[in-house]
Amino acid sequence: MPKVDVTVEVCGMAGDGTIAAGGLINEALSEGGFSVLGFDSYPAEIRGFGRCVTHSRIGNNEVVALGDVTHVLISLDDEQSRSRVPFLSENSIVIFDSSPAAYVREDSSIAGEVEPGTLLFGMPLSDLATAASGTERGRNLTALGGFTAICGIPSELFHRVIKRRFKAKGEKVLLANLNSFDAGVTYATQNFSERIRNIFIPPGQPHGHENVLLSGNQAIGKAALDAGLKLYFGYPITPATPIMEYLASRLPDRGGRVVQMEDEISSIGAVLGSFYAGVRAMTATSGPGFALMTELITHGVMAEIPAVIIDAQRGGPSTGLPTKTEQSDLHAAVFGGPGDSARIVIAPTNVSECYRYTVKSFQLAEKYQTPVIILTDFYLDNRVENFPIPQAVESEIENSNIFPRSSVKGSYNRYSVTESGISPRALPGMEGFIFAATGLEHTEKGTPDYSPEVHTMMSAKRHRKILGALADMPAPEEFSSGNIMDVGVIGWGSTFGSVLEAVNMARGRGMNVGALKITSIFPFHLDVIREFMNRCSHCLVPELNFEGQLANLIGHLHTKDVVRLNRVTGMPFPPSAILAKIEDLIQTGDE
Amino acid sequence: MKIPGRDLAEHVKQIKESGAFDVRSNALPTWCPGCGYFGIHQGLNECIRELGLPHHKVVVVSGIGCAGRYPFFTNTYGLHTVHGRTLPVATGVKMANPELAVFAVGGDGDGLAIGGGHLPHVARRNVNINYLLFDNSIYGLTKGQPSPSSPQGTKSKVSPYGTVDKPLNATLLALTYGASFVARLFAGDPSGITNALIEGIRHPGFSLFHIYTSCVTFDKVFKTWANLKRWVHPLPQDYDPTDLRQAFDRVLDDDFSIGIIYRRTEKA
Repeated sequence: MPKVDVTVEVCGMAGDGTIAAGGLINEALSEGGFSVLGFDSYPAEIRGFGRCVTHSRIGNNEVVALGDVTHVLISLDDEQSRSRVPFLSENSIVIFDSSPAAYVREDSSIAGEVEPGTLLFGMPLSDLATAASGTERGRNLTALGGFTAICGIPSELFHRVIKRRFKAKGEKVLLANLNSFDAGVTYATQNFSERIRNIFIPPGQPHGHENVLLSGNQAIGKAALDAGLKLYFGYPITPATPIMEYLASRLPDRGGRVVQMEDEISSIGAVLGSFYAGVRAMTATSGPGFALMTELITHGVMAEIPAVIIDAQRGGPSTGLPTKTEQSDLHAAVFGGPGDSARIVIAPTNVSECYRYTVKSFQLAEKYQTPVIILTDFYLDNRVENFPIPQAVESEIENSNIFPRSSVKGSYNRYSVTESGISPRALPGMEGFIFAATGLEHTEKGTPDYSPEVHTMMSAKRHRKILGALADMPAPEEFSSGNIMDVGVIGWGSTFGSVLEAVNMARGRGMNVGALKITSIFPFHLDVIREFMNRCSHCLVPELNFEGQLANLIGHLHTKDVVRLNRVTGMPFPPSAILAKIEDLIQTGDE
Repeated sequence: MKIPGRDLAEHVKQIKESGAFDVRSNALPTWCPGCGYFGIHQGLNECIRELGLPHHKVVVVSGIGCAGRYPFFTNTYGLHTVHGRTLPVATGVKMANPELAVFAVGGDGDGLAIGGGHLPHVARRNVNINYLLFDNSIYGLTKGQPSPSSPQGTKSKVSPYGTVDKPLNATLLALTYGASFVARLFAGDPSGITNALIEGIRHPGFSLFHIYTSCVTFDKVFKTWANLKRWVHPLPQDYDPTDLRQAFDRVLDDDFSIGIIYRRTEKA
């Protein structure tokens, strides 16, 4: 049976409604029971007149990465869409505006640019939209109508999501959009009936009602709400701000507050204060803000106060590339700040894991009384995926706090040295457990003490505690036949999807390869990773950074040097680049 | 006027008997005998006692410096944070649990230099925390460098030719930033501190207590006890602390009148 694996792109100029059209495609096909991964690229400047492109990869099976080729291109501006022509697959579908008004120059039609064999569908989008709704503004919807009819998608799917999207804008706007869409469906049905391509067969299986389509940032926001977040403190920064936006409109309904602080230092400070008083709080930032937070994060380590921090990575160092994706904060997240300050770092690899591990981070932070850092990146933050929301999230993290029981006067040791390193934590307001938390080295009671014995004992306690957290953290997942491999590829963060895609392609071509997904960045599953590495002739670590930051962390576990594959293009890792390196390693044995 | 802390042993005995001293460590405060912080300590303890605040419902948040050690010397919950971050951390504590009485304590270095960027925002956010700014115009814990409130020309090992920067006035800043309760106090007058704190705690928003104090070890020329005692004086009898313009005039003209400088009357 054939499988659906289609990449659709919408390309236009800012103002064409490109991003809106791409969003509707993602929503409609998600409703239709397909697995969807969507990612948009648009100009960084607010008032830019730049190119907007949306990418939607749609499949029957779980979609793990963006595709390398485009099967359907919907052009809302042919000048801009020319740049997408090199990515078109053989026999691809190109839908474009054939209204004379659509052309700035006579010869600018995309029809003359494409390879022979490309299926061209010229539609007078501007004219149709104007006739249907009185304005050409709805021509993006008209194009979607054409796409729907040409590709054999039931129109009801789009009707449903269009209604949902435009309901709030009033009956008039909704009707204009529906009419523009229908005009496209009618025109394509009448004019292209011979050329209909049913590329979405077999149709998707209806998801359960709990299936959601969210971006990584939205999934983090939703997870925090579901985990019982009460206070969010933050400072705006790309690409983390959508988390704050998501929570700002929802947290008040749950009795919580979103507070815009004066900087990232005060944001993490208030998060620590809140957790110290026993209330779940969170902050989200990107590299530059994270750098400012590191001193207080180590205070959380020393004083054993929980915190949840999202670091939505972008290109760096310094201000770097605010709207480009990169995985170059791993060193900062794991090692940033003064002293031996072990903390928990988790990097989700897809949107569903953004949800799952954000929930998990609250559990880990409270149980192990430590800051927990979730490392995402621009690509993961902004791409949308559909996934089922796990049930019973609240119960999962309930009672993760370990409170003291005895209240014999003066007997409470806030930092008692235990086998696990976890000491029962009292909260202000509890009678009989008064203590002072401090960033100074301290005794079991919490009294400042710089003696060699105390610093040695308490350093060991803190590290024992963090290493012990590994038992509750996500283990590496292997995708291979489990035997000796010619090449084993280790991936983390948003790059893992590309790793898996490349490894699946290589295995499909008969290569003896496997993939290992690492989500627990610190502490990490040393034995599992070493065991995997020792079954690989070559161990390949692709990362979106220059230094090979995960390779630096785990490379020593291999008996020989791991092979690094680093890119700093600001774009998601292309699976084809990983596949090429795998082939190279197998054929030449060269590193 | 008797300067508290001049006789350290006697003072420690007093506060131990009051039940306010830290029963956990039994460590003596690290402050030098004669330090003005003993007077502030006494003023705050007396306030807690007079209001009958249960000790387990009081949190003292501090930064770094001699004042930063405060949480270790008092029988309440304490949070000794990092340099300059007292106010944001205290904001988190109070917002998380509004039933707690939250005191933020810190020196002039902590609050006017490294942490100076937080004061305007805590003032305009008006979260109900009580900030005691211990102003001795010197960095004591690092052995006597000038602070943002040191007068121009202050000589020290790091400024052998005298400082060139003009001093900051915490009371004036707080008024400018829109703080809803501003008191200027003197560590040599613990009962004055107690009275102002009681009013400040009852005030339903952010309260700043700018407290002049002396570093007896490193300051032999400026904020000595002798000078401070000569300089400070009460506000005039007819002073109206609800009048913001009058408050500005007073603070611009007179650096050393003590009492409640400003109190916004509308509900915070």
